[in-house]
Amino acid sequence: MRGGNSVKFIRKSSYDYDLRLFPEPEDKFWYALLGIALLIAPLILPPYFLGQAVLVGIYVIAGFGLMLLSGYTGQISLGHAAFFAVGAYATAVLEKSLPFVLAFPAAGLIAGAVGILVGLPALRLSGIYLAIGTLASSFIIGEVIARWESVTRGSSGFAISKIRIGDFLLDSDARLYYLVIAVAVAALWLGRNILRSPLGIAMMAIRDSQTAAQSVGVPLARVKLIAFALSAAFTGLAGALYAHKIQFIDPDQFTLLLSVELLVIIFIGGIGSLHGCVFGAVFIIVLPQAIAILKDHIPSYLAEQTGLQAAIYAVLLLGFILFEPAGLYGIWLKTKHYFSQFPHYQKGSQKDQKSHARGESW
Amino acid sequence: MSLLTADDISISFGGIRAVDHLSFEIDPGDVFCVIGPNGAGKTSIFNLVSRIYPLETGRLLFQGRDLGRLAAHDIASTGIARTFQNIKLFDNASVLTNLMLGRYRHNRAGLLEQCLFLPGARRQVLADREKVEQVIDFLDIERYRDKPAGDLSYGVRKIVELGRALVSEPTLLLLDEPSSGLSPEETLDMIFWIEDIRDKLGITVMMIEHDMRLVSAVANKVLAVNLGARLALGSATDVQADPAVVAAYLGGSPGDPLSSH
Repeated sequence: MRGGNSVKFIRKSSYDYDLRLFPEPEDKFWYALLGIALLIAPLILPPYFLGQAVLVGIYVIAGFGLMLLSGYTGQISLGHAAFFAVGAYATAVLEKSLPFVLAFPAAGLIAGAVGILVGLPALRLSGIYLAIGTLASSFIIGEVIARWESVTRGSSGFAISKIRIGDFLLDSDARLYYLVIAVAVAALWLGRNILRSPLGIAMMAIRDSQTAAQSVGVPLARVKLIAFALSAAFTGLAGALYAHKIQFIDPDQFTLLLSVELLVIIFIGGIGSLHGCVFGAVFIIVLPQAIAILKDHIPSYLAEQTGLQAAIYAVLLLGFILFEPAGLYGIWLKTKHYFSQFPHYQKGSQKDQKSHARGESW
Repeated sequence: MSLLTADDISISFGGIRAVDHLSFEIDPGDVFCVIGPNGAGKTSIFNLVSRIYPLETGRLLFQGRDLGRLAAHDIASTGIARTFQNIKLFDNASVLTNLMLGRYRHNRAGLLEQCLFLPGARRQVLADREKVEQVIDFLDIERYRDKPAGDLSYGVRKIVELGRALVSEPTLLLLDEPSSGLSPEETLDMIFWIEDIRDKLGITVMMIEHDMRLVSAVANKVLAVNLGARLALGSATDVQADPAVVAAYLGGSPGDPLSSH
């Protein structure tokens, strides 16, 4: 588990140990603290930051969806904006006749079904061809949404009312925040369950060697379709929440840029780790704010360049791919390691840590 | 009744017959070894049995079931497990996870059970883990349990792959060059393991091997192939003495004065 010169011992006394939700005893304490912080956040955060926190939660859910498919099953998708859009439009259309508590899960199911439809032809593709295939699918879905005016109102856009659960109206960001956090926690819990089950191991097997996965009895097509369906469903749920946050959707919000943002979340967060979805989502929401603040402090000829934000994105992404492929989660592990070893930390012990960071499943 | 019957099987790639109307039978308890020069079609025979390649002619019967009718991912569930010549492990995952995957065919937990990790899923994982730990103990790889498979030495990776095949509790185990790349000490270990796999675990073994010391030590039947066709079939000593086999390995034709040495 730990670097070679570790001073910490983990004594496992049963096989159940590895199946626990929080592998180490002190984790429970930290997660409890995090839970309390999340619960009281709306009481202390200024309204603007609370709105940003809602968006972080939505991106965690969408990022988790893509992480299942690309991070764990190894199927790169450049088309996840489409599932996000399907979720947003499905909830918008269904809520004209159904209450939110039914329309919301239905939006997830519809997005999941679209995921299977996209997954079927993509079964025979891999790598760059799969990326192009999913990109093409997302263009088709985007076009359908833009042209199917009788249902989606096309490019004139769709206004969405606030969420109502029974008699309870989610009319503030704080109330929406709690719903989003609940869905995000449920998604990550489900992710952890999948990863400690045979299904999750089969997904990672497909990522690493399809021939070997097949030889131990993993039905490739079935597991890939399950990954596509779950991935699209969660990204769709995120889209449905996003529609309620923004309260107005039109086809221009769900472009290739959104698909790329979702990929940035999982790459910068840390591919193949659930923590990575959270780190990546925080990163993608905080970065534009940080750039905006930065703009006040740099020479105006730089600050007024139009491509500044995109350029900073690109440099950071390249930096992570080159120097820290395990992403922010990798940096997090190293930092934790540094403090747990203090003052005995040695540079070489990073190596062990790095390789450990590659597979977070157990 | 024989365990695996290959009846007139063939596969060709372009104009090349990799396996050419080959027939053989493997009985329960055999250690059946396939030998032959490079490019003789040995691995192609394995790929036909595991359905990675489709059969062009003939039939493969395993315990009376026609393997030709099954999909590649269904082969494992009939009780056939295999290793690969150029090791195919899940490099990003730990040794433990690699071995857990070997249990996949025994998974009875449904999709919902796994997503919610209901008691059924937990029971499944714990039962799998129990079996995996037995194999870790059998192969003496405890110290690698939590290491990523990609970081291990070649010899250990080879043993982990053998472990992944064993945890599936197969009836027939296909080993593709188990000793290639192993040190002499590791090869000796491999001989003991193969004997134990046959005697203690009761698993029938079919293997491809070049190291004749290992073949002579464990195989009770040896099939020599060249250019996809059978040269000889019999005990290790008989096959090694067969003039056709000697000719295939050393060049020349049977009866050539050079080849008799």
